[in-house]
Amino acid sequence: MSQLHESTTTDRPASGSRDLRLSGLTKEYAAFTAVKSLDLVMPQGSFFALLGPSGCGKTTTLRMVAGLETPTSGAIHLGDTEITYAKPYKRPVNTVFQNYALFPHLNISKNVAFGLERRGVKNVGQQVADMLELVELTSQAHKKPAQMSGGQQQRVALARALINQPEVLLLDEPLGALDLKLRRGMQLELKRIQTEVGLTFVHVTHDQEEAMTMADTIAVMNQGVIEQMGAPNDLYENPKTTFVANFLGQSNLIEAEIQGREGGQVKVRVQGALASIPTERAHSESGKGWLGIRPEKVLIAEAGHPIDAPGDVITGGFITDVSFVGVSTQYMVKMPWGQELMVFEQNTGARRMLPVGTKVDVSWRPEYAFLLDASQDAKAGIEED
Amino acid sequence: MAELERRTLLKGSVGVAALGASAAALKWGFNTPDRKQNPADCQAKDVSATDKRLIFSNWPEYIDEDDKKYVSTLTQFEKDTGIKVDYTADVNDNNEFFAKVANQLGSCSSSKRDLFALTDWMAAKMIQVGWIQKLDASKVPNLHANIIDSLKSPGWDKKREYSAPWQSGLTGIAYNKKKVGEVKSFSELLTRKDLKGRVTLLTEMRDTMGFMLLLEGADPSNFTDAQWQKAMERLKKADGDGQFRAFTGNDYVQDLASGNVLAAEAWSGDIANAGDDNLVWIPPEEGIMIWADNMLIPNLATHKDNAEEWINYYYEPEVGAKLANYNSYICPVKGAQEAMEKVNPENVHNELIFPTEKTLSQTHGFMALDEAKSRTYEGDFSSVTAS
Amino acid sequence: MTSTAGIAPANPHDSAAPAPRGRKLTGYWLILPAALWLGVFFVIPFYSLVSSSLFDPNGSVLTGYNMTWHFANYVDAINDYKGQLWRSIWYAGLATLACLVIGYVLAYAIAFKAGRWKNLMLVLVIAPFFTSFLLRTLSWKLILADDGWVVGFAQTIHLTNLLNFIGLTGTDDRLLATPFAVIAGLTYNFLPFMVLPLYASLEKIDVRLIEASSDLYASPMRGFFKVTFPLSLPGVVAGTLLTFIPAAGDYINATLLGNTNTKMVGNVIQSLFTTQGDYAAAGALSVTLMAIIVGLVLIYVRTSGTEDLV
Ligand SMILES: Nc1ncnc2c1ncn2[C@@H]1O[C@H](COP(=O)(O)OP(=O)(O)OP(=O)(O)O)[C@@H](O)[C@H]1O
Ligand SMILES: [Mg+2]
Repeated sequence: MSQLHESTTTDRPASGSRDLRLSGLTKEYAAFTAVKSLDLVMPQGSFFALLGPSGCGKTTTLRMVAGLETPTSGAIHLGDTEITYAKPYKRPVNTVFQNYALFPHLNISKNVAFGLERRGVKNVGQQVADMLELVELTSQAHKKPAQMSGGQQQRVALARALINQPEVLLLDEPLGALDLKLRRGMQLELKRIQTEVGLTFVHVTHDQEEAMTMADTIAVMNQGVIEQMGAPNDLYENPKTTFVANFLGQSNLIEAEIQGREGGQVKVRVQGALASIPTERAHSESGKGWLGIRPEKVLIAEAGHPIDAPGDVITGGFITDVSFVGVSTQYMVKMPWGQELMVFEQNTGARRMLPVGTKVDVSWRPEYAFLLDASQDAKAGIEED
Repeated sequence: MAELERRTLLKGSVGVAALGASAAALKWGFNTPDRKQNPADCQAKDVSATDKRLIFSNWPEYIDEDDKKYVSTLTQFEKDTGIKVDYTADVNDNNEFFAKVANQLGSCSSSKRDLFALTDWMAAKMIQVGWIQKLDASKVPNLHANIIDSLKSPGWDKKREYSAPWQSGLTGIAYNKKKVGEVKSFSELLTRKDLKGRVTLLTEMRDTMGFMLLLEGADPSNFTDAQWQKAMERLKKADGDGQFRAFTGNDYVQDLASGNVLAAEAWSGDIANAGDDNLVWIPPEEGIMIWADNMLIPNLATHKDNAEEWINYYYEPEVGAKLANYNSYICPVKGAQEAMEKVNPENVHNELIFPTEKTLSQTHGFMALDEAKSRTYEGDFSSVTAS
Repeated sequence: MTSTAGIAPANPHDSAAPAPRGRKLTGYWLILPAALWLGVFFVIPFYSLVSSSLFDPNGSVLTGYNMTWHFANYVDAINDYKGQLWRSIWYAGLATLACLVIGYVLAYAIAFKAGRWKNLMLVLVIAPFFTSFLLRTLSWKLILADDGWVVGFAQTIHLTNLLNFIGLTGTDDRLLATPFAVIAGLTYNFLPFMVLPLYASLEKIDVRLIEASSDLYASPMRGFFKVTFPLSLPGVVAGTLLTFIPAAGDYINATLLGNTNTKMVGNVIQSLFTTQGDYAAAGALSVTLMAIIVGLVLIYVRTSGTEDLV
């Protein structure tokens, strides 16, 4: 291990951090801009997730970082070193490819040893053995990639990149091809390894749950730009755009008229009723807006019955659909103005399940609501499946 | 285990049986038969009188054709005799033609032809193995009366009992006068430094070795094994020195014209027909080899009389002159030179058609070889040409 | 024959389930066309060739040949023609090597760099096949003519001296009628047999593997030798075999472009069969050539280890 640290650490300034910085990074194809003036800082040693729908430019961004694609403009820095135009084989960056890209003619240990050998490291046997042990493939060392299962290949791809102890490890949807169970297992594994070796991981995915369970920081990307970036729960609790609100989990967005600020709150009128939003969660100050509330934050009770821990209340809804999902029940509630709200209720057993047609009132705690600019499309980021 | 052994044993014995069958196939399936025949036993009933036809296989571009007012010799023959001639130009190569007819003639069945023309040595070979019918001397009086002296009695058919030359040619040397100074003798081809690597000789063993024998002072029509050996030595030495570029068939002409080859052992007709003024054919000082393509009547020919009438017709001087005027080869018919006055006065003194007496007196034929000798000599010669 | 083979498997229920014997027979019927093909076009000619290689050498085309297990034919053939045998292997080997180098560059360019010109370039590679082998070879006589510009140019840049130095031409500054011309002719004529399999295997290579290699610190050169080349090995092996085998038996190039001292074993066999009518020697030499080639191929395939490749 010591030898490979030499080659990557020598050019590392003793003091400064080795954050990965993208500034104004842009990639244009003939008639199409895949990545638009991206500014991002991925702190050294963090687990950074790049989340976004298919085609939003995630792979393109990674490829520019890896050096497999030349940016049209902008710069990439690793600490103080600019690597925008460095040759891919000269960057302290390794990639776990979306399709693994294992060398079919080499066996597993040769695949894993590839990077070290190319850098002229001698006697790689021990390191390869250690690395295979880490990914629990010691017994498979002499197999060819084609003789392995998808999950095993994925671990080989990981080992092959990790063994080089790169400053930045890029993971391009490495778990995409795995079944759910294996994926959960690998997620934990990846997270464990990252904590153990302390490298910067840039993990691309379009699975929001994956991003939220694994990452320290998530950047939500849409059509070549970053919509919002932050810790997973911040992003979830306080989305700044309708896209993030819909893409990360689900949201009820209700048309609202902003009345004005009052103390630490912004007051809005929602279809006749009044509601309030804490100012730090209000991303619009006047005119119309979208009042957002997560379905699990909405409380529900039969019309006229008391609601525990009531906040802002709207009455006059009736249930149009009920689905039972074990731990919870999902209701669709048709409101007087015709919109259907989604409500998730824990099956605590405190009350029987409400049947379709029941007249109900809904309520939520004002501190959970958020307010978005009405010029945005309320349906942005809803995944059709 | 026992089961397994029995299986392998079974397989083994199947293998042995297969091998045995293979060996039998090798022995009985693919031998070649003895192809010698006796022409007397392989005669067909001659239907010439009732079926007025004649089937003749000849080399390509070897006969004159009707053209506007010009009546070809063939058309004239058909008019005169009422015999319909099936003329096919399907002889491209002596060996190839041999292979074409070997199965029939070698097993005494009909080759479906009444007449074909082959070069001396192949004609000799076919006569030797009894595939060729004797000509009825009384039916070909012109042949015996008019054949030129130099072609009258080749070693392999001393009295022209079996064969009649269609056309004849001389083998000498040719050079490109634009590229190289005068070449006079065959020995220059073997020794001149300025010709090194730019000389071709012919793959026809009898032509090339004829000259080599002449260089040894031997007579190509009658030489000994010792003389042959010395001639071979000389050829090998020159070849080893890199004097020759290739041994060729007709294809030396292009190389000679393009200047890749400066001098070549060459057939007179090729140079006459090349139409390139820079190419000069000359009779070498050592002598000239003469050859002919000979008309032969194969066993079981059903129109032998008609074939003989054809041969007799082409030995009329005027007919010979007309033919030679067309193809520029040596006319084997005496008196044709006088007849040429009427046909085309320009060609009366064309030495490539009518060589002078002096030239003809220097010509040599090649000794008739029996099958075994022919094999040995061909083998010796190929060891140089195909080494 | 074809109809039986075609119909039998179409009805698996009738024949297969109740009567296993029927299924067994179906299998045999199915291999019948292939077996017939092999029998007619390989086994019988092969037996005939082996048989003639064991003919009594005293026979002749005219008196007939008899198979007498005359194994000495082989000894004679090898003794008499070892020079040409060796030369054939040598020339074919050099031509194969030249084809490999030129063909690899060409196939690589077509597979990875040609873009939309790919199909056109592939057509151009096989375009020479639209004319006859003989004509193509003959045209080289014009190109390499002693007084032509190619030779003139080769002399100016002293290529002729270089070739003479390594023994591929003579001292007299020409290209035609030299070993060089023969090898060049072989290279030219068999190049498509090299390019096409190379192209096929290069084209199959996932460019993402090459990207992966550069991501793993391999410079383009290293990446080529560690990833691209090993992955193209099946094409290399197929191409070298498809080039070497016909080149070793070729006689046209030696006849048209060579001189009297560049004859290959194909020339000898041709001359033995046609002009000399020595079937025994010709047969023995043919079988010997075949055995040598099969032997070399086996060694080659073994050592190149292609059977491990995916
Ligand atoms: N070589 C190219 N030429 C033109 N357009 C391209 C090229 N490569 C990618 N694109 C376009 O750029 C956009 C972003 O592609 P990218 O591969 O980065 O998407 P992604 O976010 O990784 O999607 P996915 O989740 O499906 O992998 C896509 O619309 C794609 O069509
Ligand atoms: Mg992608």
